[in-house]
Amino acid sequence: MSHPRTLTFAFMEPPFESERTITFFRLLDAALDRDVGVRVFAYEGAVALTFARQQPHGNAVHGRDSAEEAHPLTKDWVQALQEKARARTVGFEWINCGLCVDERGVNDVIEGCGRGGPPDLWRYATDARNTLTIGTR
Amino acid sequence: MSQYLFIQSQDPFTESRTRHQFDLIGQLHEAGHDVSVLLVQNGVTPARRGARTGSFDRLLDWGVPVLADTFSLEQREIDDADLKDNIGLSSLHVVIDAMLANGKVIWH
Repeated sequence: MSHPRTLTFAFMEPPFESERTITFFRLLDAALDRDVGVRVFAYEGAVALTFARQQPHGNAVHGRDSAEEAHPLTKDWVQALQEKARARTVGFEWINCGLCVDERGVNDVIEGCGRGGPPDLWRYATDARNTLTIGTR
Repeated sequence: MSQYLFIQSQDPFTESRTRHQFDLIGQLHEAGHDVSVLLVQNGVTPARRGARTGSFDRLLDWGVPVLADTFSLEQREIDDADLKDNIGLSSLHVVIDAMLANGKVIWH
């Protein structure tokens, strides 16, 4: 079934490495602003974006503890987007590539994020209004 | 005729492949397609007045619509007045609008 108000995003960037991750999350946020359903297929390093055991840390160089540093965690950003989607009553789905998860040992993911494979990306892309693939370069 | 929106995140001063990316954008424009560009991240750097990037400046000369992400500009302390002529300001919502309009949205 086609979803005319759903967009798919394929993303492969790991957390904490690149400005692309920030732009990617901003794009998801912009889609929700437009009351558009979002589907994400995360593969390669991006499967760690939803890793539940991410931990904030302090910054000894600047003399700040963990609370003062307020280190951003991508799992929290995903949760915030899930909540925003619920508030706007639009869909927000997230599937991690299972092979990529196993390679990295990041099986423990936050609630609401699933495990799948390339056929899910095909399904997401086929059903969605449009798809954007963000490469690492 | 197809609609293209290129999200240009790479900058020509550190990524030599951007010349080919700008060439592709220009060729699609010359072929009559509806092509526009959104500069994000370090992709905004050639938009600064005085930045010398022939392949990018040609797109402006040809009238290819070029927008710059305000967030990326602010991060780099580039003001509207610092931009070359014919570069507009935009949020990322333009990407969502293009996708909803069935445009071909391509990440560079």
